[in-house]
Amino acid sequence: MPPSNIQTRDDYRYFLELQTRWMDNDLYGHINNVTYYSYFDTVVNYFLIEKGGLDIHNAKTIGVVVESHCNYAHSIAYPDKISCGLRVGKLGNSSVRYEVGIFRGEEQNAAASGHFVHVFVERATNKPVPIPKDIRDALHDIQT
Amino acid sequence: MTNFLDLRIDDFGFRTDIPTRWGDNDMLGHLNNVVYNRMIETVVVRFTMGPLEIDWQRDQSYPLVVESLCRFHRPLAFPETITAGLRAGRLGGTSVTYEIALFGEGNEIPASTGHFVHVFIDKDTHKSIQIPADIRKLIETFA
Repeated sequence: MPPSNIQTRDDYRYFLELQTRWMDNDLYGHINNVTYYSYFDTVVNYFLIEKGGLDIHNAKTIGVVVESHCNYAHSIAYPDKISCGLRVGKLGNSSVRYEVGIFRGEEQNAAASGHFVHVFVERATNKPVPIPKDIRDALHDIQT
Repeated sequence: MTNFLDLRIDDFGFRTDIPTRWGDNDMLGHLNNVVYNRMIETVVVRFTMGPLEIDWQRDQSYPLVVESLCRFHRPLAFPETITAGLRAGRLGGTSVTYEIALFGEGNEIPASTGHFVHVFIDKDTHKSIQIPADIRKLIETFA
């Protein structure tokens, strides 16, 4: 991967620390590629709950994923601790593009980086709706 | 540019059925997004172990994923069985891009489309190497 694609901690605005788990490693002895998407999913929803006040049980508006993407630069393995860095790349009326970097321990360069796109829909009808204000404000705070 | 919703299972030379499990659904009542990526990985691995006859414990090289992408067009949910289709896209010297689509039961329009990029790595040096000629020839038949 060209060096220009390497993301560093300074590129992100919000961080969530996670402990990798035994089952995250695959036969190659490192974190399985699909597991990174679970880290993406976890940091995005944690941010929405913590900073945007999302009530995942009762909210009338929810985010559904329409695209996810990951570039894998170097490996991580259980029992490493990781940091999930998050920023907002594009904030639309009903959609948001999150950009995520996964860092091993204290490393400055991301082991993997990618994006995750949510469209906010009305839970009852599944139709796109404007992003609720509290969530939009939180997303705006980490927009780059 | 490809309109992904126009893709049909017949566009893919390798196909495999993947059952869903109760635990694959998340609290929104459909497969969690990570599970789609797991299915994409599953069809790739079945392709490498089946038609490509790759045995990563025996062979001198092994494939390593460097990039993956998934687009979500419509929801899938337990208990339907998913049909995954794969074809070879860009074939470079050391890497191959697989193009993948996931189809729900009884629906000809893909629920999900994406790609998965493998780089071939030498077991001893851990550096990328040219895709072995026999494997390359097999990949080409699925382009």
